[in-house]
Amino acid sequence: MTSLVNQQPHSEAIGYSFSQSTHAPNKQHSFYPYTDNGGSTLGITGADFAILAGDTRSVAGYNINSRYAPKVFKIGGDDETGEGAHILLSVVGFAADGHALKERLDAVVKMYKYQHGKPMSVRACAQRLSTILYQKRFFPYYVHAILAGLDEEGTGALYSYDPVGSYEREQCRAAGSAASLIMPFLDNQVNFKNQYIPGSGEGHALEPKKAGPLPRSTVEQLVRDAFTSAVERHIEVGDGLQMMVITANGIEEIYTPLKQD
Amino acid sequence: MNHFPESWGRPRDDIYGTYNPAYLQSTGPKAHTQSPAVTGTSVIAVKFNGGVAIAADNLASYGSLARFTDVKRLRKFSDTAVVGFSGDVSDMQYMDRLLESIDIRENYSTHGNMLNAKNLHTYLSKVLYKRRSEFNPLWNHILVVGFDGDKKPFLSSADLLGTTYSAPHLATGFGAHLAVPILRRLFPEDRPTEDITKEDAVKALRECLKVLWYRDARSLDKYSLAIITEEGVEIKEDQRLENQSWAFAETIRGYGAQVV
Amino acid sequence: MDKLIAQYTRSSHQNEFYSEQEQHDLTESHPPLSLKFSLPPIDDSRAFLRAMTDDHSNPSCPIKLAHGTTTLAFRFQGGIIVATDSRATAGNWIASQTVKKVIPVSRLSRGEDKPTDAPTPGLLGTMAGGAADCQYWLRYLSQQCTLHEIRHKRRITVAAASKILANLTYGYKGYGLSMGTMLAGMTPQEGPALYYIDSDGTRLPGNLFCVGSGQTFAYGVLDANYRYDLSEEEALELGRRSILAAMHRDAYSGGFINLYHVKEEGWVHHGFNDMNPIFWKTKLEKGEFSNVTSEL
Repeated sequence: MTSLVNQQPHSEAIGYSFSQSTHAPNKQHSFYPYTDNGGSTLGITGADFAILAGDTRSVAGYNINSRYAPKVFKIGGDDETGEGAHILLSVVGFAADGHALKERLDAVVKMYKYQHGKPMSVRACAQRLSTILYQKRFFPYYVHAILAGLDEEGTGALYSYDPVGSYEREQCRAAGSAASLIMPFLDNQVNFKNQYIPGSGEGHALEPKKAGPLPRSTVEQLVRDAFTSAVERHIEVGDGLQMMVITANGIEEIYTPLKQD
Repeated sequence: MNHFPESWGRPRDDIYGTYNPAYLQSTGPKAHTQSPAVTGTSVIAVKFNGGVAIAADNLASYGSLARFTDVKRLRKFSDTAVVGFSGDVSDMQYMDRLLESIDIRENYSTHGNMLNAKNLHTYLSKVLYKRRSEFNPLWNHILVVGFDGDKKPFLSSADLLGTTYSAPHLATGFGAHLAVPILRRLFPEDRPTEDITKEDAVKALRECLKVLWYRDARSLDKYSLAIITEEGVEIKEDQRLENQSWAFAETIRGYGAQVV
Repeated sequence: MDKLIAQYTRSSHQNEFYSEQEQHDLTESHPPLSLKFSLPPIDDSRAFLRAMTDDHSNPSCPIKLAHGTTTLAFRFQGGIIVATDSRATAGNWIASQTVKKVIPVSRLSRGEDKPTDAPTPGLLGTMAGGAADCQYWLRYLSQQCTLHEIRHKRRITVAAASKILANLTYGYKGYGLSMGTMLAGMTPQEGPALYYIDSDGTRLPGNLFCVGSGQTFAYGVLDANYRYDLSEEEALELGRRSILAAMHRDAYSGGFINLYHVKEEGWVHHGFNDMNPIFWKTKLEKGEFSNVTSEL
């Protein structure tokens, strides 16, 4: 009975927290388990390769923790060198969660190889990563992951994820703090969004430029340009650019310095 | 389904209760599950040619009170590694017991204790990450120094959230603000660590501790210093800061920007 | 004595590592879809989750999840039309413009993933609300439907499949799932069947549904022109036009129009087409959308 009396009268049948008050009562149990270590990652695919890149800065607030903290990892390779890996994973967001996720996927891909006697396909690995992320739906990994490899036909495959595991195969994707700076550039330069064939018509009859797989040299240059530009305009991006290129011949790692300011 | 299009599919107050931003800790004082009580301040470390040097002062504070002035915050692990702890002292002692038990267990095994600093860092960072995932963190920020599997100098950090990173020189706590810029100026990161001598590294650490003593109100002029090389670990636990000069203090007014 | 000792002896530290079972769960590659989820070990895990992820109540929440938006499906004499947009948003950020919001369910009778012109047997599910929730639970539903097919040697009915999903979402009611999905399929027992299921546990059969933030705009066009005896051509055009209206007026909808037709023999894909040329074609050739100027 008391519960009925004490109940707040509903102004609306259904309520939403439209304007939240910032002065909420402090909770007893309020250890905050996340932090944002900043940085950005980027992946682009081509006809017979995939590139996954990330800057190497690790930040905590305005402090730079380290100038070399890699965000791109080889998955399913032998021990520490990552020899023999055929899948790449990049994680950006909360580095400890990212690291835990990488270790977990790595273990799963290795177990798959031992149990089935063949390497896990990128498609299967992509699906498995989605379920791993979703297992923590109610206490998410605070990361944006990108997975890259070569599919059954040997073409570059790239999968991008949200923190709880919704995923999609794409041609290119930028994630992390500078995603909003890099992604529009990629839309224009990789998928040729808002580019039209000159002289193909007048006004609404202008024909859009068709997107197709780009050659590796062009893609590498796009990645460099994306990062050097992001460094100029985002404080959490800089120090170094780690690029991993996966082709039929294996994985090649390229490191180039970025501005350290 | 309702007439507020953008709220569609989002949590409703009648089912989930009103939105509670207290979990986000964006404003207001921090209230923690387990707030650190007795704490140690910065730990600083530098790699040099053939080893690593690490230092921390001997103070354990109780809030703003300098409570214990003889607490050793550098811990040797089986002649192969040194762990430097900042943050909660009781959690440090807990991790100390943990390390002790690992040392004993490993030494009783047939192969003896083969764990190097890198292995130890991996283990401790996983313990810290597991504890944060249980919402019961070990309130420490640690530096682990020693050698990795390839006998190369190793220096890496792990904090209460399980975040790990490494660099040629690292500092925790206040040291991240005061000592790291000094170390970065003395030993630029593009310069190979092989160019840095042991003497340079130790001198730099003493200099940093002095700056911390000048400016960090939770620091002490008594400190411990450990140097780890191929020959083993050398820990000096009762060091004192020398050649202090407080002349700069006379010109300080207010918070520093004030002139009269 | 042992008891007495045990009472006063405590380990100097707890076991700081993962148990055998936990380690096994972490590395297991085999049963990927399960109902085992890790919860944050605090009193009110739901409030914690909401504080972290509800970008509507708090636009600066740390973890922004991808949300899906306008979807519609309706029954007519020739089957069921399913149409969606393709935009996913995380806060104000457009996370993707190429999301496939129509998800085929029941994989066994579908064979391989190779696209063909022939109708593919099976159900279709749509995705609105949390993208991950829809993808995961529709995949889980696929698994259940496939198992049903193996056990009973016939395809599951849409009624049964929708009930599996509704029971699930009702079981997780209050945990913070966010999904509004439609299941469309045609079985010999039911004929064309369409169900709406959402994360509150609602399950409704019906002729016509629009779901998502752009639902009101889609309903406006759909209700005005809907008849049960539409021809196939007209029905496809109506689905396309309704989504177009929603994309035009709802900021959270846009991208590509994804169109499907569910028939007796299975579903047929009718393209994943950029909305922009379709919009201009509709405007310039049919004279609709006169609110928009066509001058350059």
